[in-house]
This record gives sequence, structure tokens and C-alpha cells, in this order.
Amino acid sequence: MLTGFARAFKTPDLRKKLLFTLGILVLFRLGATIPVPGVDYTNVNQCIKEAGGNGGLFGMINMFSGGALLQLTIFALGIMPYITASIILQLLTVVIPRLEALKKEGQSGTAKITQYTRYLTLALAVLQGTGLVATAQSGTLFRTCQVGNQIVPDTSIFRTAVMVITMTSGTVMIMWLGELITDRGIGNGMSILMFTSIAAGFPGSLWGIKQAGKILDGWGEFSLVILVGLAMVCLVVFVEQAQRRVPVQYAKRMIGRRSYGGTSTYIPLKVNQAGVIPVIFASSLLYIPALVVQFSGNTTAGWAQWISTNLTKGDHPMYLTLYFLLIVFFAFFYVAISFNPEEVADNMKKYGGFIPGIRAGRPTAEYLGYVLNRITWPGSLYLGLIALVPTVAIALFNGSQNFPFGGTSILIIVGVGLETVKQIESQLQQRNYEGFLR
Amino acid sequence: MTEALGSTATPESGRPEDDTDEFLDDKSKKKRGGKRGKKGPFARMGLFYRQIVAELRKVVWPPRKDLMSYTTVVIVFVAVMIGIVTLIDWGFSSLIKYVFG
Repeated sequence: MLTGFARAFKTPDLRKKLLFTLGILVLFRLGATIPVPGVDYTNVNQCIKEAGGNGGLFGMINMFSGGALLQLTIFALGIMPYITASIILQLLTVVIPRLEALKKEGQSGTAKITQYTRYLTLALAVLQGTGLVATAQSGTLFRTCQVGNQIVPDTSIFRTAVMVITMTSGTVMIMWLGELITDRGIGNGMSILMFTSIAAGFPGSLWGIKQAGKILDGWGEFSLVILVGLAMVCLVVFVEQAQRRVPVQYAKRMIGRRSYGGTSTYIPLKVNQAGVIPVIFASSLLYIPALVVQFSGNTTAGWAQWISTNLTKGDHPMYLTLYFLLIVFFAFFYVAISFNPEEVADNMKKYGGFIPGIRAGRPTAEYLGYVLNRITWPGSLYLGLIALVPTVAIALFNGSQNFPFGGTSILIIVGVGLETVKQIESQLQQRNYEGFLR
Repeated sequence: MTEALGSTATPESGRPEDDTDEFLDDKSKKKRGGKRGKKGPFARMGLFYRQIVAELRKVVWPPRKDLMSYTTVVIVFVAVMIGIVTLIDWGFSSLIKYVFG
């Protein structure tokens, strides 16, 4: 089975794609370690050491940027602006008729929407970059640190502009890298980069758990966490693979002297049709209030206090409830925009297919909608619960708030891993190799 | 054209598909009880819940063998990726430390 990985490397153009993706990941990590000009590298390092990886207000976003945010590197903003921009555009497509028309237009319309997404990313990156640089200059980025206000020695306007511009172009660069992976590499670029960022934080946090643990010198907690992680991987794979198969029968038809069709297949509707997207969307949307506080620079006002007590800690009941609700909402939302029952029913009708017992056309679309709606409920609840359960458990056991094995990171890591592995597998099978999933 | 033929043909298997039972039940009930049905919200919620369970029963869950192989492959893949990223990070951070430190 594992020789499949070796075989993947032996296939020439698959090897090319894999190496291309890896090369981009190397560039991505390089950018995540080079500090932005104007930052005192030694002071930042000392502060990070003192903070112990606990980013406070920035914990979640720091995890998503692979630790680059607190180090103030050129890729400090990570892919978050891009993700946020694409969520906003997808939400707006439902609201604004012009965008909806563009979406229905097909390829040229989609290209236009992608272009808007990029502009919005740029704007968000400027906003977020300015906010980050401002907090770094005022010393609130590391509040407990002694040299916290000496991270950026020179606070002149020119220096600030250079820093913001560097970070913004870093984000644009990340966006480009992601699109390169999607086009010429393996998997979806955005999720692969997200995957890499989260993976980068894993070893450090695991080691932190071992250091903080008490049972058997920390090895007790360490192995417990690993075991729980493995069990969760198994569970996630289990649900990701579960499908409701709606049977479809194709009518036989004669074209010339040959008959076509007459076969029976099925439409696979996954229990979790939306995949990991809802989790990514929900967590990046929940980051926005914290971003607003950070940007306003006013941490003492009533509303700012309220946000930073209720919406920034991963173990606060308010945060958890909102997170859960958002995940459920986005699961339905994403299924609704990615799977269109009418379109599927239409296509089936065109090619002479039907679901046994259901008439073609509108009743079929209704039936598909019926099944999808009922199957997405358990799917979305599963997503929300998986994302929450570890957080709740950790809060009970008094662990750190942004635990690496939190449901969010596990879901993203396993979801993206599974998707990528399947893509490699299908590419292998195209070349008549048997793949490695059997 | 034969396009519309599909809708009038009967399934070849001849076996009545139990797949669509609840859906059809639901529709006939709707017809009987007018637009919204006579039932209260709790009864409707109960019906919805039963329909969810009925759909879940028809879900094809992955067999143990598939589950094991997928899990192993994903874990190996993730472990390899984490290893590679850690290695890259370690290399770059020591390089940066050498340059700026």
C-alpha cells in the first residue's frame, strides 16, 4: 500500500507535480521566516519565547499563519485575507444580483469574480497589515513582554509604509502561490497552504504539551493527545467517506445502430458534502471581531472589552456557540452553492436518466433537494461537534486554549490530506497503476 | 428524440424501490392536509427527524478495510508533510538566525 507513494514518484508527470508543489511550499515557508524590514529580530524572538507560543488575541490567526504572524515576517498575514475575501464574495453572490448574473455567465463570469476576490484580498491585506504594524509599534502585540514596545525601533511614516507594503505584497504573493498550486500542482492551493501553515505549528505545540504535562514527565499527556488525535482522524475519515447513493437508471437509446446507456449508476451525496470549507469559513469569520478591535487600537472601550472577553478565547461559551452555529450555517450555505439539484435533474433528463420511482424534471430536483437537506443536517452537526468537542474537553482539563489538536486543525489537516491523497490516487489510476488505497 | 422516454419507463429491476418511500409519503400527506399540513410544529419536527434517520440508514458507510487503509494513508501523508515542513522550517530559521542574529 505504502509503495504507492514510491510509485507516485516514479510516474514522470505526477512526480513533476509533486515536486512543483513541494517547491512552492518551500518558498511559502521561506517567506514565513524572513522578518519584515524595520523589525528588531532579537527583540521579537525574545518576546515570542516569553509568550510561550500563546498569542492571546492572535492565537487562532497565528496558528493559521503558521506562526508567521507573531514573528512579523513578510508572510505574516498568511492566506487569511484571501480566504476572508473569497467568503465575502461568495456571500455577496447570493445578495447582489449583478454578481449572481456573473456567476451564471460561466467561465468569463467566474474569472471576473476571481478578479474581484483578488482586489478585495489586497484591500483586506492593507487593512490587516496596518493593524498588525500598529499593534507591533505600540507594543500591544506582546503585552507581557519587557521589550514589547521596542519591536519596531523606528516608527516614522516611511518605515511604517514600507512594512505595510511588504506584508501586503507578501499576501499577494501567497495568493499567487496558491493559484499556482491549483493550476500546476496537486490539490487545491488555498487548502494546501492552510494545511502547511497548521502543520508547521504541530511539532512545537506537541512538545509544549509534553513540557507542560505532569504524568510520567509529560509523556502521559503526550501519548494521550496522540491517541485522541488518531481516533479523531479515524472518525473524520469515516464520515468523509460516507455517502448516500441515490440510484439513477439510464434509459437505453439507439444512436445509429448502436445502443447506449441502459446502465444504472448512482449520484453520490456525501454526508458531509461541504467538506472542510465550513470550518475554515467559520473560524476566519470569527476572527474578524478581534481584527476590528486590533485595528481600532482602542482596547479599553466597552465593546472592545466585550469582544476580547467573549469572542477571542477558544474556550469561552459564547465563542463556542457562535462557532458551532456558523459551522452549521456555512455547511448548508456551501452545499447550496456547490450542489444545484435543478441542474443535476436537468442533466439527468437530458441524458435519459431517472431515479426509479421519481419522475424526471422537477420532482427529481425536489427529491434530490429533499435527500440533500436531510443528509446535510447530521453532516453539519457532525462538523460542528467535531470542531468543538476537543476544545470543550481541553477546557475541562485546563489545557491551553488554542490546542494544536483542536477540532478545527484536525478537520482541516485530515480533510485536506484526504482530498490530496485521493487526487494523487486518481492521477495514479489514470496511468493504469492500481493506486495505493486498496 | 428519446429524451423524455426515461420518465415513463419503469425500472428494469422491477423490484419496488423502497428508496423513495418517505419522500412519497411526505408528498401525499402534504396533499391531504393542504399546504402546510394539519400537524403542529412538534409533529413536523418529529417527522423531519424520522426522515433524517431514514436517510441516514440508507447511507453507505465505508467498510472496515477501506477505513483502515484510508486512515493509514492519510496519517502517513500528514506525518510526512509535517516532517518535511518541520525540516524546512528548522533549516530556514537557523539560516535567518545566522543572518540576523
